[in-house]
Amino acid sequence: MDIEVTQTGAVTLVVPKGDLDMATADQMKRTLSDLIEKGQSKLVMDLTRVAYVDSSGLGALVAAMKQARAAGGNLKLCSLQEDVRSIFEMTRLIKVMAVHSDRQEAVASW
Amino acid sequence: MTADTLVITSESAELARLRSWLGEQLSVRGLDSHARSALQVAVGELATNAIKHAYGGRAGHPIHVSVASREDGVVIHVEDFGKPFDPALYHEPNLDELNEHGLGLYIAHRLADEFSFDLARERGTRWTLVKYQTGTNPERSA
Repeated sequence: MDIEVTQTGAVTLVVPKGDLDMATADQMKRTLSDLIEKGQSKLVMDLTRVAYVDSSGLGALVAAMKQARAAGGNLKLCSLQEDVRSIFEMTRLIKVMAVHSDRQEAVASW
Repeated sequence: MTADTLVITSESAELARLRSWLGEQLSVRGLDSHARSALQVAVGELATNAIKHAYGGRAGHPIHVSVASREDGVVIHVEDFGKPFDPALYHEPNLDELNEHGLGLYIAHRLADEFSFDLARERGTRWTLVKYQTGTNPERSA
């Protein structure tokens, strides 16, 4: 999975490309954990280019969100595709994670 | 009812091949994109479950996935030959908590119109999913 990381002021923007499943969840979890440990705990993840998320992917995002919150930040998501959004709704993560409609809104929310 | 079958091995790198094959099978059978996506996730969860739990993360073991048409939709079997699923150990997740684990079977169950498992076998578990064509399930279209 390709994961682009860029800095926008105090916010770190993470843009993965590909499927977030058992095969890629560890890579995602490690990438986010490394950022948080380096002090980049204000995270926005743009999911525009992720068409598939399963429970392994959700687990990686929840773990990173907990770690970011413990460090005084958060992991905010944006631009979920419809089928991906339905998985977040089904598991009610849509209610407990910060989910924004687009990147600008998510970055501005900090 | 003729079925098409794919055999993958118990490695996470196989999951993308499974999704691709399943998408083609479901497209040929006329399922719309949302139903295809739902079943790709559901079947992916069962295959992931087989890799992690039935085979304990050991690579190289078979997982059979078959798809067959029926008058009102499709039926899919996902079959492994490892440690059988133990329903006594399964607890539905508390969705008011932040779950890092334990969502896979819940998601698979929710995405199918019918969901069952068969343990009356020499080894392993055979899961069965049914998805109705849009408009053919009287309970859901009511």
